[in-house]
Amino acid sequence: MMFIYLVRQSVSKTVNIQYIFNILLYSAVTIDVAISFLLIYIVTRFFHFAHAVVFTSGAYFTFLFSKLLGCSLLVAIPLAVLCACTLGCLMEIVVYKPLRKKKSSSLILLLASLGIYIVLQNVISMVFGDDTKSIRTWPVVEGIDVFGARITEVQIIIIVASVVLLILVAGYLSLAKTGKAMRAVANDPELANISGINSNKVILISFAIGSALAGIAGILVSLDVDMTPTMGMNALMMGVVAMIVGGVGSIWGIVLGSLLLALAQNLGVWYISSQWQDAIAFAILLIFLLFKPEGFFGKKLKKANI
Amino acid sequence: MEYLLHILILIGIYTILSVSLNLLVGYTGILSIAHAAFYGVGAYVVALMALKFQTPFLLNLFLAIVASGIFGALVGIPSLRLRDDYFIIATFAFQIITFSILNNLVDFTGGPLGLPGIPQPNIFGFKITTHVEFLILVIILGGVTFWISNKIVKSPFGRLLKAIREDEVFVRAAGRNVSDAKVKVFVISASLASIAGVVYATYITYIDPTSFTIMESIFIISIVIIGGSANLKGSIVGAVVLVALPELLRFIGLPNSIAANIRQILYGALLVIFMLWRPQGFLGEYKFGKEAVRSKESEIRSKK
Repeated sequence: MMFIYLVRQSVSKTVNIQYIFNILLYSAVTIDVAISFLLIYIVTRFFHFAHAVVFTSGAYFTFLFSKLLGCSLLVAIPLAVLCACTLGCLMEIVVYKPLRKKKSSSLILLLASLGIYIVLQNVISMVFGDDTKSIRTWPVVEGIDVFGARITEVQIIIIVASVVLLILVAGYLSLAKTGKAMRAVANDPELANISGINSNKVILISFAIGSALAGIAGILVSLDVDMTPTMGMNALMMGVVAMIVGGVGSIWGIVLGSLLLALAQNLGVWYISSQWQDAIAFAILLIFLLFKPEGFFGKKLKKANI
Repeated sequence: MEYLLHILILIGIYTILSVSLNLLVGYTGILSIAHAAFYGVGAYVVALMALKFQTPFLLNLFLAIVASGIFGALVGIPSLRLRDDYFIIATFAFQIITFSILNNLVDFTGGPLGLPGIPQPNIFGFKITTHVEFLILVIILGGVTFWISNKIVKSPFGRLLKAIREDEVFVRAAGRNVSDAKVKVFVISASLASIAGVVYATYITYIDPTSFTIMESIFIISIVIIGGSANLKGSIVGAVVLVALPELLRFIGLPNSIAANIRQILYGALLVIFMLWRPQGFLGEYKFGKEAVRSKESEIRSKK
């Protein structure tokens, strides 16, 4: 009940347009990351931690191509997305698929994923340095005035791009042949295999699309706030929180979860200082895990598979 | 010589951490990413008690263990009800929240600046100041940790833990209280981890939250896995390998700026390699998944 009171109070303070923009912006990125992760998670059913570094690599590949090799952003960005996609696929081909062939448990895959993350994140740190890098070619601006709030053009692009990607992914999963195949494999891998779907191929495709989306998300974030080698882990965890709060497997759940998370964090900054942002996000996660693990739109999962 | 002793002390500290985590990960099959949080609780309790109340070392050690145990119960009881994946995420969440608390409650914990000037141990007048003395201390405390863990592992409780690891549903059906056992081992693991924190705090005499991050948790997990899951001696081997090996790199003349990165790449790569080729680690017996059951089945069949 206290929560509802707080929400009412905050709503009256935040019908302030700036707040709405901040929340939209924040959730836009989270939605991107969460969707890209979800595509891989529903099909492979393990925690692909290394997704965080695929996210980061999108930004750093762009940096490599635009600042170090002198390409224009128009060329650098698609190339970088392609590289991020390839990176994700390589992880699948070199590490995950061999492990799956050996019938390794999801725990083994998770641990291997952790290892991959550590190696690649440190490679990025070594090659590019730990300081913040930027791919922006324009000066930092205050932003244009929209209905009394300030928002930069880049931020508008981020929000629009996320909505577009969201619609594309939702459409793909419902309508495209491989998208439907993905849902089949996600639902019941053995049945999918028997029905003639090559689950390995579907998994590779999910890695390809998921990694490309993660790369795009990384680039979008870096266009707004520049990049650091460790930015992926935080972004991924926020995406995971949104995914769990929304209900694993549900895209609209992710949207709702991201909005809720963004709202809570922005409110948190209002009432408590911003250094507690992470703690707030994870506290929300814990509350959901303990009291409503299926999230808003998820199915109630069985406790154990016998 | 001092340098060698320093490495040995670090190995000792990480042995305590990995042996205590092995009880959870290797013997019970529970992967917790929150171990660094309990390590940190041990360090901060002893530091705060010594700095603010000047209480004696042994009392602080005792309090650190108790505090860590209580914290372990607080984290474990709600989390252990969750399914595998979600449990791991819950421990991740607790780890981050703990780090936030240590980093943000500046008045209490010193925040990012940490707590300097922690007094060195003074046990009934015997002051521990030199490297050799610390090494002896860590060997004694490490020995105690190992002994306790060994006792647990060889007891009926230890067999229960292994049974839970292999087939939890079966154990439940057989009427044993699985949740109870899991919480117990989680609390024990947390309490033992804090011992390492106590040694670390009084040895380095300065602590800050960056020593107790999620990366530290992952490092400890790597030691357990590479050394050998479900094998306590393996945890010692793991600690030796993962602490000493990167130090050898110093002698190759790598620039300092990337030495830390190379160290992490080393254990990250080892983790992936071991998962691919030897998931049970150097000396371990648990292969983290169905594979273990299958290979035992084929062992039994081939013996017939």
